[in-house]
Amino acid sequence: MTRQIELWVAAVVGIAIVVAVPYLVGDFYQLHLATLIAVYWVLIGGLNLVVGFTGTLSIGHVGLLAVGAYCFAILAGSHGLDPFLTLFLCGALGALIGVLLGLPSLRLPGFYFAMVTLAFALIVTELSVAEQWLTGGGIGLSVPGFPGPLATPWGYYWFTAALAVAVTWMTWNVTRLMWGRALVAVRDSEVAAQSVGVSIYRAKLTAFTFSGFTAGVAGALFASLQSYITPDTFIFELGLFFFVCIIIGGRGSIVGPLLGTVVLTALPEVVAPLANLGNFFYGALLLVVVLLLPEGISNLVIVIRNRMKPAVNVNAPVKPDLARLAAAVRRAEGEAEAHPAYEAREVHA
Amino acid sequence: MLNVVVTGLAIGALYAACALAYNVMFSTSKVLSVTTGHIFMLGGVFGAFFIADLGLPSVLGLLLAVLIGAAFGLLTEVVAVRRVLNRSDEHLWLLSTLALAIMVQQAVGLWWGTEPRPFPRLIPQDYGQGLWDQKYWLPIIAVAVIAVALEAFYRFTLAGKIFIAVAEDAYAARARGIATDRVRAFSYIIAGVIGALTGFAAGQLTFAYFALGLTLTLNGFIAVAVGGLGSNVGAMLGGLALGLLTTGATYFFGGEYQNTIAVGLLIAVLLIKPEGVFGSKSVRPV
Repeated sequence: MTRQIELWVAAVVGIAIVVAVPYLVGDFYQLHLATLIAVYWVLIGGLNLVVGFTGTLSIGHVGLLAVGAYCFAILAGSHGLDPFLTLFLCGALGALIGVLLGLPSLRLPGFYFAMVTLAFALIVTELSVAEQWLTGGGIGLSVPGFPGPLATPWGYYWFTAALAVAVTWMTWNVTRLMWGRALVAVRDSEVAAQSVGVSIYRAKLTAFTFSGFTAGVAGALFASLQSYITPDTFIFELGLFFFVCIIIGGRGSIVGPLLGTVVLTALPEVVAPLANLGNFFYGALLLVVVLLLPEGISNLVIVIRNRMKPAVNVNAPVKPDLARLAAAVRRAEGEAEAHPAYEAREVHA
Repeated sequence: MLNVVVTGLAIGALYAACALAYNVMFSTSKVLSVTTGHIFMLGGVFGAFFIADLGLPSVLGLLLAVLIGAAFGLLTEVVAVRRVLNRSDEHLWLLSTLALAIMVQQAVGLWWGTEPRPFPRLIPQDYGQGLWDQKYWLPIIAVAVIAVALEAFYRFTLAGKIFIAVAEDAYAARARGIATDRVRAFSYIIAGVIGALTGFAAGQLTFAYFALGLTLTLNGFIAVAVGGLGSNVGAMLGGLALGLLTTGATYFFGGEYQNTIAVGLLIAVLLIKPEGVFGSKSVRPV
């Protein structure tokens, strides 16, 4: 019960921070950065169910992001559709492609699936360069913004932040209930999960489809935020970045990847030398976390606490209670004598 | 048309060598390392660096490049594989090798530059040789020699037989007194030598390019998955088939659809015969 209250307090404090961000940041660039974090989190929140909870390693979600971005640029930009309707359509398209990609691939073991998603990301980039009539090729497409109050940086921040909170709430609901337990079971042992009646394939596919939807929505938001997209925007390293955020934050939690996203997006912008090192920094961080802290940064406190704990003295001598043992043996012998019928029954059988 | 076949065979040989490197590492450690393609990239980049930038003779450049490839193979084993094999989580080796692959690619990108640079001529030859140009037949010959040498190593030497013993059953091999850890480390060195040699030989075809590793990791994996994991014959045939297919696709449809067609092949094979054309069905552990 207290755990529940703690979580609700944490949720309220979190939302308060999210709402207050525009009043805390110094300039429009930092607000842009905050918006970018919110957009990334819409994708990573969904991806977290796939990577963090189900343990399916998708390193190519940037492909789904690109699909959502181009969908928004084409429908809302070239065809002048309503942006809010288009946002939903982009999510639906992302989910559809998620299903199509997941149907054959999710039957494969870990490394095979990771390679297929990597290939998918490369294919999307390849096609967005090749299909000039649709995507503008290497020149790219300009993307319209949202109308009315969302046209300002503040309005757009609150809009994306609200969507990010909604995604967080949805994934939190999933992980709290039986569904989330099933996903974790699939991650930890597929065989054990199957033996207690979890349909592994369906669980994986559902989580992957959901992440496709959020990736499509995030793509649309991302395109609108950047206001111009080219195939160069959606390099493979971006997909890796999403993946690294989750692993570094910690698998099996929501707060961990959220912290990972915030820190990894903001840190290279704040610390200039890290921006130059870019992906090298992400790679080094990933290696350190995998080797030293496989549970992720969010579990750092728990790991340290366990290390600090004094070792239990296992050499405590155990003295046999001989008197009690002798009494027990006597009692057992007495019972056997009192019931000679036992042996007789065995003979009859 | 002949041009397509020769180019396809040369690129296919590169993919096949990558698939062989996957097999060598997988046989002793049951790990599919993401760094596989990056070993080839290092062979090409350092070959170009030693010969073109430092002006060393080709043979010395080749030796140094192979040395670096072997060192990187060993580094992969020590840093990214050895520590995580003791843990039960099968995903960890994927993450650690991926992290190492990112780091080496970015480090080379920062040091060497992100543009593809030409690889120097190894043998004096005019550029107008067409199909007889060394950039086509050097990788083909190199990979053929490597494949034959690898097969001879496994068949005729005691060390090769120890390798096979570890690949078949590591526990039984350890019970017979084989230092499986040392064999595993040695297999990564062999993969490093294969990668650096081939990357060096194919340098004129691929250019010395920092992002080559990712492409080769993917295409070599497709070759090994199509041919069947663990089978060297499958690796060779899978690599050559993939090279011919992508080059043919470039010839008929243009270069924009290379990855699409390669992955189409992968998914088709995995749907029809998930263990690969020459692979053996593994028993599902329950």
